[in-house]
Amino acid sequence: MADSVDCRAASRLLSVAYERPLMPEELAALQVHLDKCLMCRNFESQLKFLHQAAQKYRTQD
Amino acid sequence: MGPSTSAPDPRFAEIESHRPYLVRYALSQLRDGQLAEEAVQEALLAALESIGSFGGKSSLRTWLTSILRFKVVDLQRRAIAERANLAHDESEGENEGWLDELFDSTGHWREAPQAWSNPEAALEQRRFWEAFERCLDKLPQAGSRVFFKREVLGEETETICKAEGITPSNCWVILHRSRIALRACLEKNWFGKEASFG
Repeated sequence: MADSVDCRAASRLLSVAYERPLMPEELAALQVHLDKCLMCRNFESQLKFLHQAAQKYRTQD
Repeated sequence: MGPSTSAPDPRFAEIESHRPYLVRYALSQLRDGQLAEEAVQEALLAALESIGSFGGKSSLRTWLTSILRFKVVDLQRRAIAERANLAHDESEGENEGWLDELFDSTGHWREAPQAWSNPEAALEQRRFWEAFERCLDKLPQAGSRVFFKREVLGEETETICKAEGITPSNCWVILHRSRIALRACLEKNWFGKEASFG
């Protein structure tokens, strides 16, 4: 399982984590991938930013 | 507020500036473009009539949205008969073929997400929000609606699925796709070295 997460699968897990809690094995596999993949860490930060921007968009003056 | 009013309240222009957000809100709830425009129009008229009662306790946007919500619910009731026909108009299915455009056969990003420098600062810039709205507009309709409900309004996935007539996994796929499309659009047009909007 640990080797089975590529960028494609990692991006899916990073996204779905905003909708449901990840299972322990999903989390573990994701972490293994993130540790060695800067692109997916960038993607992870960008999802956080999108989330933050969307919330701000709702109440902006 | 009649036609004889000579000096328009300066807040009229301010109210008008929230129209794009309000249209998106209405679209996320009504999915019918014409109905959404109608709801926003009615809400803005109502807002102009009662601007005097706006105390500034919440943000103007929040106040306008609460007025719009009533109009939306009203129109939803009128449109409910059509709902059944519309529920499956653009179901994305389980098909994840779109991922092939973003990832190569070994599962790597075709266009690697870059590091964005100081993204929080963008949130304070008016032009960033214009870029943000343009990127939202580029999403497929279902994607734009679901992203808006989930991320902007914070609705529960279950509520969204019910309203859209789709399964949770469909919903996750749509959100995954929308987030990737949005981040790519913002990188290209705002955060990237060759950004064209900023």
